[in-house]
Parts: sequence; C-alpha cells; structure tokens
Amino acid sequence: MEKYLIKDLMVPISEYATVSEGATLFEAYLALEKAQEEYDHNKYRHRAVLVLDKNRRVLGKVGQLDVLRALEPKNEQIDLFEDIRKYGFSDQFTMSLREQHLMQGEPLTEICKKTAQTKVEELMSAPTEGEYVDVDASLETAIHQLVRGSHMSLLVTRKKEILGILRLTDVFAAIFHTMKECGIDIEKDT
Amino acid sequence: MNALEKLFIRIVQRVNINLRELEFDAKPYVWDLIPKRQMTKFYAFYCISPDHPLNLQFKNTGLAGSYFLGQCRVSNSLLYKCDIRGDELKREGDKFRFKNFTIPISKNEEILIDDSALVKTLIHNYSHDPESPERFFIQDTISTHYANIHGSPTSGCFLGPFATVDLTTVQDCVIGTFSYVQAGEISHLKIDPGTVWVRSPGAFNFLYRYPLEKLKDYIYFEAGQPPKGILMDFVESRKEDFQRVFDVVNIESTFDVPSTASLDRYAVVKPSTRIGENVLVSQRAYIENSYLGKGANAQENCFIINSRLEGNNVTAHGAKIIEATVGENVFVGFNSFLRGQPESRLTIGNVCIIMPHTIIDITEPLAIPQGQIVWGLIKNKKDLETNSISIHELSKINTRFSKGTMFFEGNGSSFVSAFQGRIHHILEANGAYFNPSDNSGLGHAQKNQKMSFNTIQPYPRGENEGLFPTISIQL
Repeated sequence: MEKYLIKDLMVPISEYATVSEGATLFEAYLALEKAQEEYDHNKYRHRAVLVLDKNRRVLGKVGQLDVLRALEPKNEQIDLFEDIRKYGFSDQFTMSLREQHLMQGEPLTEICKKTAQTKVEELMSAPTEGEYVDVDASLETAIHQLVRGSHMSLLVTRKKEILGILRLTDVFAAIFHTMKECGIDIEKDT
Repeated sequence: MNALEKLFIRIVQRVNINLRELEFDAKPYVWDLIPKRQMTKFYAFYCISPDHPLNLQFKNTGLAGSYFLGQCRVSNSLLYKCDIRGDELKREGDKFRFKNFTIPISKNEEILIDDSALVKTLIHNYSHDPESPERFFIQDTISTHYANIHGSPTSGCFLGPFATVDLTTVQDCVIGTFSYVQAGEISHLKIDPGTVWVRSPGAFNFLYRYPLEKLKDYIYFEAGQPPKGILMDFVESRKEDFQRVFDVVNIESTFDVPSTASLDRYAVVKPSTRIGENVLVSQRAYIENSYLGKGANAQENCFIINSRLEGNNVTAHGAKIIEATVGENVFVGFNSFLRGQPESRLTIGNVCIIMPHTIIDITEPLAIPQGQIVWGLIKNKKDLETNSISIHELSKINTRFSKGTMFFEGNGSSFVSAFQGRIHHILEANGAYFNPSDNSGLGHAQKNQKMSFNTIQPYPRGENEGLFPTISIQL
C-alpha cells in the first residue's frame, strides 16, 4: 500500500496562482486562470490565489469565499439585520428583510464590476498559525490541522520558506485511494 | 479610603467579573456617578402600613435618600435615592402561575439586594422567575439614573441611565442607555442603547432600535461623564421642588383629594391640579396644572404637566406627559417622554398603547387616533405613520412585518392581548376599579392612605461615614 507524503501531494508554489500585493481582484482571477491552464488539466482546479510581498513571502490568500464575501453589501441596514439575530428573530425573517433590501440595491453585475477593482489586500485572509505545515510532517498531522481549523489548504514550509500548497481535495483523494487499496467493498457495506 | 469607598470598589469589581465575557468595565462609567459626599447628606425612609408585611434588614449599606416598603434585605450595597417598593410581593399561601405550573408560595417574598450599587433606580413588582418565586434578588449589579428593575431578578448586570428590565430574569448583561427589555430570561447579552425589545418566546417578538444620533439629544451617557440630554435636563430642572417635600417632616396637602384616591406625601403636586376618584399618585411623582380622571395613576418618577388624563390611565414608572390630552384607558409605558407645546398640544385617543420608552416631542399639534400602538421617536405626523399601527391591524398579523426600524414576528393578537391583560392588571392593582359601596377592587390607591414614614440616618463622620449601621426593622 502506498504511503503518501506531504511533498508528493502538495502543489509546488511555482505552479500555484500568485499575485503581488497591490494587484486587483481581477488581476488575481487572471493569474488563477493562467495557472490553471499551465497546470495538469486532469487535476482538480485551483481555488485560491496567494498574495506575495516584494520578497515573495506569502501575505495572504484570496479564496472563493473571500471573493463572494466582497460582493456582500455592507451598510447600516444590513448590519442591523445581522444584529437583530441576537434578539431571537428567525433566520427566515432576517433573510426576507435582507432580500427586500437587496432588491432596492445595485444589480449584481454592477457590484461585480466594482469588486473586480478591489485590491487583493482588502479581500485576502492572512494565514493563521495552524495553516502552516512542515514538509516533513506526517500526513496524519496535516489531516489533523485541516480538520481542526476547517481549512481548505495548508501552506507547506521548510523552515521559513514556502514550498507549496497542500490542498484538502488532494489529501481527500489520497485517503480515498488508500481506502480502495485496503479492499473495502463500499457497495457491500452499504 | 473609608469603608464606603472600599465597598464601592468591591461592588465594581464584582460587576466587572460577571461582565468579563462582554469585555465591559463599569468603573469609568460609575466611579464619579455615586456622589460619595452626598451619601451622608440624605436620610433613608421606610413606610409602615397595616396592609404590607414589614421586614427590613440593612447590613453594610449606604442608603442615602432611598425609600423602602415591604420586605427587603440589603447587604454590602450602595443605594442612592432609590425606590424599593415591595407592595406587590407574593404572600405566603399565594399560588404563582407560570405556564402549566401552579407554584405554591411557602413564605412571604423578599427583595434581596446584595453587592450592588443602584442610583435613582426603581425596584417594584415581584419575581417572575419560577425558579426563585420567593426571592426577588438583585446581586452584583450596578444601575444608573432612572433605571427600572421591575419584576426582574438581576445578577451580574450593568444598567445604563433610563434603562428598564421588566418581567425578565437577567444574568450577566449590559442594558444600554434608554433600553427596555421584557424577554422572559436573558443572559450574556449586550443590549445596545435605545433598544426596545418585547419577546415572548414562541408567541411574539417586537424590536425597535432608536437612531442613536437622534437619541443622543435626549439621553447620552459616556464614561467619566454624568448622563446628559433633554431627559436629564428636564428632570434636574425640577429637583428643587422635590427638595421641599423631602426637607419637611410633616407636610399637609392643600389639594382636595377624594377619599378613594391616594396622593403620596413624597410627591410634588402643584396648582391647579385636580385629582379624581381612585387615582394613585406615587412618591417622587410630579403633577402640575393637570387633571387626573377617575382611576388614573402616576407612578414613581412620572411628570404630568399641563395635561388632562381622562381616566383609567396607566402612566408607568418614569413616564412624562407634558401639554397633552390623553383619552381613557391609555397606557403610557415606562420612561416615555411625551411632550407637546402650549400651542401644539398632543392628543392621544382612547385605548392607545404608547410602548415603553417612546419619545414624542412635537412642535406642531399631533393627534393620535384611538386604538393605536405607538413606539419609538416621533417628532411629526410622518414619524407617527412610520411608528404606529392600529391595534386592530396588529391583531391580524400572524407572521412578520417591519416598519422603519421596528421588527415584529409572531402572533399580533397575542402581543395585543398580553399588553391589554397587563394594563388591566396594573389598573386593578392600583385600585382604579375600587367600588366604595361594597369595598371591592381595593388597590394601592386606597391602601396607601394608611401609611406612615420613619427615617433612618447614616454615620455622619469617621471610618463608616455615609454607611448605615446594621438595622433590622420588623413588626
């Protein structure tokens, strides 16, 4: 049975989508598209862009959720709808208030246009301590970090250098492959 | 540092420990708020009445200017000009109903105040907590000017100026300035200033949020400063009128008060006021040039000026009515501020419900039709349209609706019934329905006539300056 190592599962940073600080969200998307074209088409798609400083150090990551979050309107009324949740109103009620409010706002195409010009620093999330894993750590350690922090990926390091990205999807594929190798007959069990 | 200051430090620390999760530090808000020198200046007083069990116990307390009625134990606490009114506490043998439970009351209920600092706060009604039916406790709590703790056992809380907790068990919460909460049970919540929240889980939920920029004109409270704004100015400007009634030992009323009505000797009543049958005017109420029709009441810290109340009116604790004509059976909730002008009077139709903590402040005449529920900040007719609905319309709602910054979810009919039931209960308890021919419907308006008052004094100097000796007062 194959023993998986982090260095074999990770995507090397050279193959990953990156942008420099100061780039716009649209530029980040273009970088993502380019990285995907150059990447093995049979593999799972990239879903995030790393933001690097001038010394090529990772400042943060812009993921799909970060982009969607940027599309969300931010104003006093929306804050109010969020705030009233603590007073025991149902989600159904607050969602309907939100829906009514959004109908009076800008169309989604306009919001997308504006958001595309946003600087990536405004959208990115800086990696937390639990999002770094040493390249020589065991896969079990990486799994634990992914689960504990509900992360979509980890930054793989050697000392302070970022070597690559260990993605949840690649770890999952490896685990599933291991299960199959173990000879478990899924259909019979279910 | 004397014993009083040490006690204050201890209370602030206890409150802060309870509120650490909310990252709230009470000290900068209250350090200068309790005037320590004033704690020697005012006597405390208590009421003796054949209709109310008497059991008062004070240990390690400052009680300056505070009033006590009924059963109350206070320890390790500072009370400044508070009203502790225990005339609605449960009695031994009563049955307390809570949902499907009927809870027998095994001994007379007591108000228990421990490790708390309360400023100009009203405490009234009885514990609505089925877990402590015989103990209406207030512990590890700081409350500030004109707060109301009404039927609400309270632990580890901070109440801003003009905040009200009503029929709610409150644990480890900050209740913001001019906020009203009636929600059954709450814990670990920070209620923003200007929030009016009435919730009965599973039945209805009403929430109104004041626009803070506009509320600031009326009441504003920041760390290191006393509360400011129109509400404070209004009350403070009439302080001297109260000084006289507190300075004089025996005060004779010059007003014609019907035998079925009660005018508290610690109320201020100025000409040309007329008081009808079954009217209750509580201590620290202020009435000037007004008519109070049969069964109307003015509770603690109420101000009724140049106004006419047609009858069976509830003017709840802290409500103010100026230059207004108020129809029959109108409820004006806690700390409401209703101000017309001589040339622009406010008219409120019969059977209206003015929600607690409503501000109506007009410069043009305004008439509220009968049968309306009114809330929030109203300065003109347009505001009234946004901040009111007819009782009939609200009763038909069974899902949800919102108007301005008011949100309602649940059963409108239950909400209306709850309020109407409560108004009826208040009028009944106050003796508004008293019938002298068969002595039925006896309430506070009739019972309060048979009261007398005693005063108690603190240590004037020395280590215990401002504190009262340990005192036990019983039948």
